[in-house]
Amino acid sequence: MPADTERNVFEMLLNDANQFGMALLVTLMIAAVAIVIGLLIGVVCAAVRIAPKTNIFVRVLDKIVELYITVIRGTPTLLQLLIIANIVLITIYSSNANIFVPMFAFGVNSGAYMAEIFRSGFNSVDRGQLEAGRSLGLSWFATTRTIIIPQAVKTVVPTIFNEIIILVKETSVVSYLSILMPWGEGNSVMQVYDLLGIADKRGQATGEWMAYLITAALIYLVVVLLLTLVQKIIERRFSISDRR
Amino acid sequence: MIDVRNLYKNFGDVKVLKAVSVSIEKGEKVAIIGPSGSGKSTLLRCMNLLEEPTYGEVWINDKLITPVDPYLHPEIIQSSRTFKKMFETRANALNEGGMSEEKLSAQIVAEIKKDDLLRRFEGAEYRKKIRELHAAYSENVDKVRRGIGMVFQHFNLFNNKTVIENLMLAPTLLKLESKEEAREHAMRMLRRIGLEDKADVYPSTLSGGQKQRIAIVRALCMNPEYMLFDEPTSALDPEMVGEVLQLMKELADDGMTMVIVTHEMGFAREVATRVLFMDDGKIAEDGTPEEVFGAPKNARLKEFLSKVLP
Repeated sequence: MPADTERNVFEMLLNDANQFGMALLVTLMIAAVAIVIGLLIGVVCAAVRIAPKTNIFVRVLDKIVELYITVIRGTPTLLQLLIIANIVLITIYSSNANIFVPMFAFGVNSGAYMAEIFRSGFNSVDRGQLEAGRSLGLSWFATTRTIIIPQAVKTVVPTIFNEIIILVKETSVVSYLSILMPWGEGNSVMQVYDLLGIADKRGQATGEWMAYLITAALIYLVVVLLLTLVQKIIERRFSISDRR
Repeated sequence: MIDVRNLYKNFGDVKVLKAVSVSIEKGEKVAIIGPSGSGKSTLLRCMNLLEEPTYGEVWINDKLITPVDPYLHPEIIQSSRTFKKMFETRANALNEGGMSEEKLSAQIVAEIKKDDLLRRFEGAEYRKKIRELHAAYSENVDKVRRGIGMVFQHFNLFNNKTVIENLMLAPTLLKLESKEEAREHAMRMLRRIGLEDKADVYPSTLSGGQKQRIAIVRALCMNPEYMLFDEPTSALDPEMVGEVLQLMKELADDGMTMVIVTHEMGFAREVATRVLFMDDGKIAEDGTPEEVFGAPKNARLKEFLSKVLP
């Protein structure tokens, strides 16, 4: 390959820096909102699952949550995304809503996994801790809030970050939306250009597909490394009561 | 008074407690001994409802903390549909056999009790009777537990709290003491056991004996009327058993009402005012230490003592 072609590739990539920047922003926005939705759903669902099943209301809620988790974990993410996109398309479609579809879809998807992570975190705390709190006259809720959750959070941090990292990368699935949903008003229906999407689009346009894909890969890698750094900082902060 | 009435506890198919009844008066120091699996710990844990009994009632200071057990109340059984049906079908016994109404009732009640005939739906009158009894005598279990300290085999200090926070948590959270009062109270308790220098460390840095003594004073910070001990020295290294038993002995000398599940026969003999021997889910012998250790009547107790006493 001649030297000037190589320089051309870097120039092309530099010229598209803006587009990459915007696409990164799209990816991060989808991921961030999905994480928030996922955490909220996860906390609520886990709370329902661990709550003492004292009345019929909690038991019914528990069954609903169980069904939700089963369905979400039992079907492919892309399929869920397509179904939600399709529902939006036939009901309230407007092209401005495009980015909200993956936000919502990934949030709902992630919520199921996060619910299970929180639940297992809660269960990982020694039962004796709850019993000790209850034996002092504290309610189930008070003990859970002051004793169990602070200890559960600590064990949950690595797994939650694992889920967040997977989620950030999984948002790249939105690139498939327009390919699998090519009908409607032209090919642009539900087109969301995230990091992978833009790399694919510009790569094909310039004929330097591989270089664009690798660039996108490097950007994902940097994002994940930053997340790992945040995880380490948080873990260190939580480890005070373990020190001997 | 801790009043345990006709307690049954099943874990699945395993019957751990079978019709256990025992009353513990204020000031008594009761040691519960017996082979492992005999239901000692379960009985103790039922006394503050950490374990929910399958049947039976637990009363603390004349307050009911378990659900009402209909089998303990003949008048409730008599209001049940099952009773009424049985009474009707046997009414001719009244006329022909010349049986009195009271006698027939008593007979049917006994039969229902024996064969566990009460069902889930026994009619409105039955439900109302249970509700009335419950409303009159029941007390919120969290409230009752404030007056019953518990010490666990595995200490169960709160891992995410420092020693002093462990001691202060319940009194402050329940608004029984202000932060300052609770801190002062906690420091006083720590000084009593000579661990005031450990106030600001986390439990993971302590020895087993220190943990258990702190667990005991954590319970004492609630100023309980009763203290329950669930094998408090079983998880300790031998050299640390003494310090924990010493603290418990001091507590006994102060007049605390104590129920202690233990394998420390020497301690039971010396400190207890009453010893319960449990075997196979029942209280097989109940007496003073002199009676239980000196002149055991039950064959299983004799066998048990020959194994555990030197």
